[in-house]
Parts: sequence; structure tokens; C-alpha cells
Amino acid sequence: PADTRDATQERVRSAPAPVTDVARLCVCDLLVAQCDVNCCCDPDCSAEDFSLFTACSVPLVIGDSQLCSQKAAVYSLDVEANPPERIFKLIDRVNPSIFCIHATNYKEALYLKSPEIPTPENFDQLLDKFGGATFSAEPDSWNLDTDAENPPEANETSRYEYGVPVQTEDAFLRLPSPVVTSWCSDANPAGFLVNQATKCIRSVSVEKCASIQALSMLFYINSSILAVPKSSQMVNITVQSIVVQSLNGMRTLLSSSDVLRLPMVLDELCINAVLGVNYHITHTDTGEIIGAAAAFVLGAISKEALSIEQSFEISFTQENTQPVPLSGNPGYVVGLPVRAGFQPQGYPFPAAFLSNKHSQLTILQSTSTQDCLAAQGARAPVLFGYNMISGCKLRITAAMKCQPLAQTLLDVLKGQSFPEYVASFGNSQAQDVLDWVPITQLHISEQMISHTWQCPCQIPVSLGIEVKWTKYGSLVNPQARIVNVTATITTTTLKQLPSGRERIIPITSSVVFTDISSPAEPSYKAWPTINIKLPFDFFYPFV
Amino acid sequence: LSSLPLQILLYVNGIYYIFYFLATLAMIIYKSQVFSYPDDFLAPDLAVLFLMAILEVPRLYLGFKGNLTEAEVPLGLSLGLTVGSVVLCVYLLLWQTYVLWADVLLNALLLSAYGLESGLKVMAIAAFVS
Repeated sequence: PADTRDATQERVRSAPAPVTDVARLCVCDLLVAQCDVNCCCDPDCSAEDFSLFTACSVPLVIGDSQLCSQKAAVYSLDVEANPPERIFKLIDRVNPSIFCIHATNYKEALYLKSPEIPTPENFDQLLDKFGGATFSAEPDSWNLDTDAENPPEANETSRYEYGVPVQTEDAFLRLPSPVVTSWCSDANPAGFLVNQATKCIRSVSVEKCASIQALSMLFYINSSILAVPKSSQMVNITVQSIVVQSLNGMRTLLSSSDVLRLPMVLDELCINAVLGVNYHITHTDTGEIIGAAAAFVLGAISKEALSIEQSFEISFTQENTQPVPLSGNPGYVVGLPVRAGFQPQGYPFPAAFLSNKHSQLTILQSTSTQDCLAAQGARAPVLFGYNMISGCKLRITAAMKCQPLAQTLLDVLKGQSFPEYVASFGNSQAQDVLDWVPITQLHISEQMISHTWQCPCQIPVSLGIEVKWTKYGSLVNPQARIVNVTATITTTTLKQLPSGRERIIPITSSVVFTDISSPAEPSYKAWPTINIKLPFDFFYPFV
Repeated sequence: LSSLPLQILLYVNGIYYIFYFLATLAMIIYKSQVFSYPDDFLAPDLAVLFLMAILEVPRLYLGFKGNLTEAEVPLGLSLGLTVGSVVLCVYLLLWQTYVLWADVLLNALLLSAYGLESGLKVMAIAAFVS
């Protein structure tokens, strides 16, 4: 027993000797007794394994490359041979540099030091050396008084920041959304100031209608929101409105939204199932939530339906402000609608512009029927940066009168309320008159009018809106600014058709965005001038 | 008669030694930055280099004086000091902590100069004695 104890002590005291022979060193040999893929130096691999490799992950094994001459093991794959085989060469590598190491008399010069193995004799000394705070892996243990840390931290996060999940009593305010697939996942928290709209599918069945939590209004309003994170101040979620959707899609707004309507089974239908929730959160400018309201859309689920689509939306409004959707801040963002408006009567008194949803800059939207007169007024908003072209076909018969036709076509092309001014910046305020660009209207006649006293009736056939924009501001963050908007109406003469004949004319409208920014010239500050002024009596005795 | 080759060799040796000293010092500094050079290995190498520099000055002076005045005593003393310098040079060539290829070249050149010098000094002493 005595000599075995000595032997174990001997074994414990020394770590395994480091391998320094380059022919036996293999860094990619990670699996024991198994062949590693693409590891040409692995001794566990056989010739068949080598024939399946594509490349050698370790092509060269050398010691310190600064030695003047050393042995190197070179591994490569001979892909020409069939099957591919591994080539192993042991070569002498020469370093041509004049500062290569010719010899060293210092044993540990080019190798890492082997760590000391703790033994009962040197354990205390090693613990003193390596057990102190400087060698600790967890930085938290450095701070002895952790209680002093917490109070200042609590004051720091006493407000919500952008993107921080909105906290409720038990967890987070949930906004169910599709994750990977389209099925609803209830674990998506709503981020503060992140306006989101999601749609997802939930599997339902009429029998379990009352027991599925996600179909009931209570699920979405029962936990109150914390006004600030980690506080005890609660904000209840009120029900703003309830819209009931019938099976054929018709929606009715309920007059009283105080009554909580829970899902129940009625005549093989599950009524009062939540089809959509729209959260409106009011917050202060210091990041505190002061109000929360939810607008519900309830519907009915029929017996055959195995899943329903639910849509959720959340929007944040600052208190005492009217939310105006900006199209950029300050420059226009590509894809957001171009803001436009009218100047109400009262010019030249500086008046504000009326800008609402109905006076947007819009373009005719092509419909499937392609008939201009049956267009039904479908219009698409002009989005900044998106060139659009749309049109319809006009069928002219002999019976059509020119003047009313021209007026109708002008309405079709321009829409009911074609705006007069366009906002120069995405966030132009209605009060700043100078930030709005007037729309220049041009009329081009396709055919030359030869007889000036005879004005044949002209009908508009195309409307082209050209928006000229430029890059404005700093070189590193240029903002898009609209400089000029021109609406060109091209008209053509309507030739009288013999009765019974028909003609089809295409009517087009287009929007083109042109970048007229001049190339940027960086401007540099002027060299600072040295301003030396001697006092006036500097040369006193001589002046 | 003074030995002219010895005089030339001593003169060239003096100039070469200045270059050798600065180059070896610079390389020791380079090695201490690039490689792991603990203090108890750096100290002996620097000590040997400075000792060699200190020995070189009287050695060359005695050599010049002995050769020009045709006196064998200074030349003999110089020869003795040369033996010491040779030992230190061999240390820097073989037993330094890191021996770079440039070290090998410089020290080999210096050793050959010492060897040639010693031979010429012996011949000069023999000429002066007789």
C-alpha cells in the first residue's frame, strides 16, 4: 500500500508530457477512436475515409515558425488520383529571415508553461496566488456590498424605453403573433413605443369555445399594466369599443362597451369569440404609461371552422397630442405616403394647411375591369420613392358629348380633391407655410391647334406627376426633401366618330420621382486665423 | 618594426566593435519585446555584453600602444585581454538565451577577427623580443 500511494502521488504531481513531434500532432483530431471529417492528420482515419474528404482542414503542422530550420508535417489531398488519397510529407522548413532563432538555451522559450499541479504541500501557496479577486471568473463577486448597488439602479429604470417589453402584473403585455409558422404564439411581448400589427391563426373548436382562453375578452384585459417597470403603480386596461362581426362579415359597433361579453355556445355557434384586439396605450414624454384601452372585434365561429384568424394591433400615443402619421423625420422615408394639403381661404394671411387623409396625393388605381367610367373612384396613395403607373381604357361612342366627358376624365385622373401643396419634408408642420411646395399644373395639348378661333374640345388622356427631390443635410445622413412637384395633363382632340362606331383610348396616370441632388461637396472650416494685436503702447519709448 | 597588418586589423576591429555592440544591444532589446525573456535570463546576457565592451577599450589601447612603440609588454597584456574577450564572445555565440542567425554572423566575424589578431600579436611579440 505504501508504494502504490507513492506511485499515485508521482502520477498526480506531473501533468501528461506535451507532444512536440509534428508528425504526431493533430489539432483537428477531436473525436476519440473515430475519424474526424476533413482531418488529414487523424490517425483514426483509414484510406477509405480519406477518399471521402474534400479538403484538408489542417494543411501544415509546424512548431514555432520563427525557428531557422524546423521539421514540418504537410498534409494534402491528391484529388487527381481515383480514389482521392492523402499525402503526408515530413519536410524541413527553412526560415530565410536574418532574425530567425538559431538556437535557444531557455527551455520554456517557445512552449507554454505547464501549470503547477496542486499537491497537499503547495496547495496553500497556490490558493494565495490564484484564489484572490484578480483571478476570479465572476466579476459580481468583486463587489462586497451588493445592497448599495440596487437603489441607484432602481431610479435609473423608472421609465420605459423604446423596445422594452411593457410589463403587467404577472408577466408582459402579450401581443399574439405568428412565430415561424402562422399559428399564434402568446409569448410575444409588446415593446414600448413599437407600433405593431400582427395576424395569426388559432386552432379552435366550437365545443371547447368557452374554455379556450385566447378567445375570451378577459384574457386580454385582466392583468393591469405597470406604469413604470418594477413599480406597483397599475394602469387598468379599459374596453374602448366592441365591434361585433357577423358570419357574413358585416360589422356592427355596439353602443355600450361596459358589458364584458364572454364566449359561449349558442345554436352550434360560438359567439363573442375575440377576432381582433386593438390596444391604444397613452404615455407621457418621460416614459410612463398613463392609460390603456383596448378595442375588440368579436365574432362567431361556426361548427365547421377548425381555425380562425386573429389580428392584433398596438399603438402608442403621447398624452395631449394628436397622432399625425409622419412620412419621415425630417426627410421622407421611401415607402411612406407623400403628405399633401390645401391652403384654406384667407391667403395672404398666413394660414395653416389642411392636411388630412382625404386630401392625400393619390393616383388612379387600375381595376380589374379596366373601364375608366366604371372606375368607382379607387385610388392609391402616392408613396415616396415609388414610381407608379396606372391606367384604364376609355370606350368612346358616337353619342358621347365632349365637354362632360372631359370633366369626368379629369375627375378620374385627378380624383375628387387634388391637393394644391405637397409637404417638403416628411415631418412638415401645417403651420410652417414655407415648408410646403405648391404643385405646378401644366397642360400639354397633343395636337397642334391650327385654327385658333376654333377651339375643338380636348379631353385629358394622361396625368403625369413628376416629383423632384433632393438630398438635404449632412453627408453622412442625407434627408430626402421634395423640391418641386409638377402635374402635367396631356389632352388630345376628340374626333367625332360616325354613329355606331366605337373607339378605345388608353388613359394613363403616372408618378415619377427624380433625384435632382447635386453632387455633395464637403466643405471645410476655414483655417483659424491667428489674431495677434499688440497693445497700442507696446513700443512706448520709441513711439 | 611595427606590424602594419596588426595595426590595420586593430583599427578595423575598433570600428567593427562599435557596430557590433550597438547591433547586439538592439537585438537583445528586440528579443525581449518579441519573445518571452524573463529577467533572470536577460541580466547575464546584458552583463556579458557590457563586460565585453569594458574589456575592449583597454585591449585595443594596449594593442595600439604596444604595436607602435614596439613594446612586448602591452602587447602581451592585450593578448591576455583578448582571451577574455574570446570567452565572452563564445558565450554570446553559444550560450545566450536566444541566438538569432544575425547573432551567429556577428559573433563569428568577431571571433575570426580576434583569432587573426592574436596570431598577428604573437608574431609581433616574437619580432620585438628577438
